[in-house]
Amino acid sequence: MKKLMIMMLALFIGVSASAQTLPDVKVENQEGKVISVRDLVDGTPMIISFWSTTCKPCIAELNAINESLYEWVEEVDMKVIAVSVDDARTLNRARSQGNNWEDLICVYDKNQDLKRAMNVNLTPHAFVVDGNGNIVYSHSGYTPGSEIELFEKIKALK
Amino acid sequence: MKKYLLFLGVALCATFCVNEASAQIKLGENGGQLSVSLDSNNIYYQEDKKLEEFNMDNKREKEFGSNNYLKVDYGIKRFSAGLQVDAFLPALSGYDISKHKFSSTYNTAFVALYAQWEHDSWGIRLGDIYDQFGNGLIFRAYEERALGFNNALEGVRFHYNYENYLNFKVLAGMPRIYDEVSDTLVWGGDLSLSFSDMLGWTDGLVSIEGGYIRRVLNNDETIVNKNHYPAKEFKEDVLNMISTRANFEYAGFSLRGEYAMKLNEDVWGANDDPAKGNVINIDFGYNYKRFSISGTFRRQQNMATPIMLTMYDREKHHIDAGAPVSGIADFGGGNSLNYIPLLTRQHTYSLASLNPYLGCATTTGGEIGGQVDIYYSWRNPKVRGKYWNFHANFSMFNSLDYTDPFGDEIKGKNAWIDANFDVERQWNKTLKTTFLYSYQRWDKEKSIAPKAKYVESHIFVGDVTYKINKKHSLRFEAQYLCSDDYEGDWVAGTIEYNFAPMFSFYVSDMWNCEETDYNYEQLNDKHYLMHYYQVGATFTHSNYRAQIAYGRNRAGYVCSGGSCRYQPAYTGVNFALTITF
Repeated sequence: MKKLMIMMLALFIGVSASAQTLPDVKVENQEGKVISVRDLVDGTPMIISFWSTTCKPCIAELNAINESLYEWVEEVDMKVIAVSVDDARTLNRARSQGNNWEDLICVYDKNQDLKRAMNVNLTPHAFVVDGNGNIVYSHSGYTPGSEIELFEKIKALK
Repeated sequence: MKKYLLFLGVALCATFCVNEASAQIKLGENGGQLSVSLDSNNIYYQEDKKLEEFNMDNKREKEFGSNNYLKVDYGIKRFSAGLQVDAFLPALSGYDISKHKFSSTYNTAFVALYAQWEHDSWGIRLGDIYDQFGNGLIFRAYEERALGFNNALEGVRFHYNYENYLNFKVLAGMPRIYDEVSDTLVWGGDLSLSFSDMLGWTDGLVSIEGGYIRRVLNNDETIVNKNHYPAKEFKEDVLNMISTRANFEYAGFSLRGEYAMKLNEDVWGANDDPAKGNVINIDFGYNYKRFSISGTFRRQQNMATPIMLTMYDREKHHIDAGAPVSGIADFGGGNSLNYIPLLTRQHTYSLASLNPYLGCATTTGGEIGGQVDIYYSWRNPKVRGKYWNFHANFSMFNSLDYTDPFGDEIKGKNAWIDANFDVERQWNKTLKTTFLYSYQRWDKEKSIAPKAKYVESHIFVGDVTYKINKKHSLRFEAQYLCSDDYEGDWVAGTIEYNFAPMFSFYVSDMWNCEETDYNYEQLNDKHYLMHYYQVGATFTHSNYRAQIAYGRNRAGYVCSGGSCRYQPAYTGVNFALTITF
């Protein structure tokens, strides 16, 4: 019961919540350098998609986005960040796989700090973030075609 | 059950309330922000006479299992705080927390809290700490819900970075083991220095790193290992470990090496002989346009790092005061301070992961081997909708020489080989096919017998996705495992229908279609023709995801991120719910 009380208390504190913003967490880029996630915010809206090498639907989603992105950017200025949550076991493999998505920006969250900070439970999990770093939409899971919904949300930001 | 409903009710109410609040009350940036997530996985276990008849180990041990995680985070400017409630009501079958608690029907919950302050160049965190040094060879505090592991450090961490080239962190605390905090003290520090950043060289990366970890057990008893013949006695208090690392990257080429060792003798895996340990891990990679190759070489010996060695808390574990304490108690896979994962490819197709490599370091203490991956993507730059993706992968691991508990010398030998090839072809906007071939060879004797008994299998998988229109799609999957040994041939198939972005339905089946000497002996009847069927549906809407499945599940190993746990066979209904705000 005490635990529940703590839980409820924490929730009361948070009733003042507003739109979520992107947390300030460090990840590695494709070259292995440590960068801050906040540095990715540059006024351009973006899709942030969490994936791992052992998650087939994640790779299917990013393949689909990579296929369509060149068409999307003609309609609206945007970018896509693929966040790998692979740990030491598959990190090397993830870097190789990430190399295949030439239009996506790949970052590596090897101890899942960003995943935890953004409260991602299951992959794939995609976020739509506006140019100021506010999270405006998120979606977990992937079914072929659901990437279009993400693009629609980006377009609605205009 | 009542407890579960109460938990779910409160958790759901909490998440919905927050959703309402965040939708309605916008106080702007200064109000800070709240984020809540709920992850709940539940199984009703059904009685399955056929499964029990097939193998007595398949006896149902409980009617209901439920693993739940509620996470609440609040952040304002540089400050953040939060809590995570892990509730096992009771834990699902096969989770190692049941081993730790010596009960499969134990209801338990753990509340972890943290508070954190992040400044420009430094930060401090109190409470629940997740972190790792390098690859995690000496220290990794992490959470793996699919396996039920959580060894977060409950303590304090301070980090500091000077300019962009010096990073330093120190931490101290007591590691968590499943749902309790151990009384083992761990402290250490890690430093990294980037020469490339220091000299302003932006084309590549050159850095060196180093870390130190000290583990102090709260253990004043002499441990008698009765598994060892003759019985051995030892007293274990302190373990010191260091790790040294060097990283290099230039023009698509990368090389990363880590060497870690135990500075003093420590107990290890199989026969608990005190020994020094060491591990070397080398990763390389090369990318050129759409071609990439990467690989890992690793040799490890005696690098097990249990958080708890024995059932020394006699009261907690109901052990008589006078009874001798023997060996490392089986606290399961979550009882580890470091992280030395299996490096073989983790397959997503059921037959390719039917008998995964489980490592020989856990049985013999030592392992040497490596793996290589090659990726190539071929496509016409003008036509995005069509491409070929090729992927080949090879891995091989051998055991090292070791002395078994009876003093016999066992020579090192091959424990695992696999070679995989898969090709993915996007024909046009509507059709995509994947083909996978996997060859696997493993030692049924787990490397501990003088002579290995190899089981070879060839696995073929075909996977077709057909997009009917923008929203509707179908997926078919056919698999065949071909083997002359062990259980013989297996066959499996799946049909999936997706209605984007909300619904997905699937039906699958898998069965052992061949009679072998092994089957006949082990299963003494023709029940090897048992079907492991599944039907399921998933509903997703923005941040809500609900999944329901019914079926019979084969006993086997569930692996996630380089660790595995044994999953007993069961028939039942699985209901999973995930909500994030």
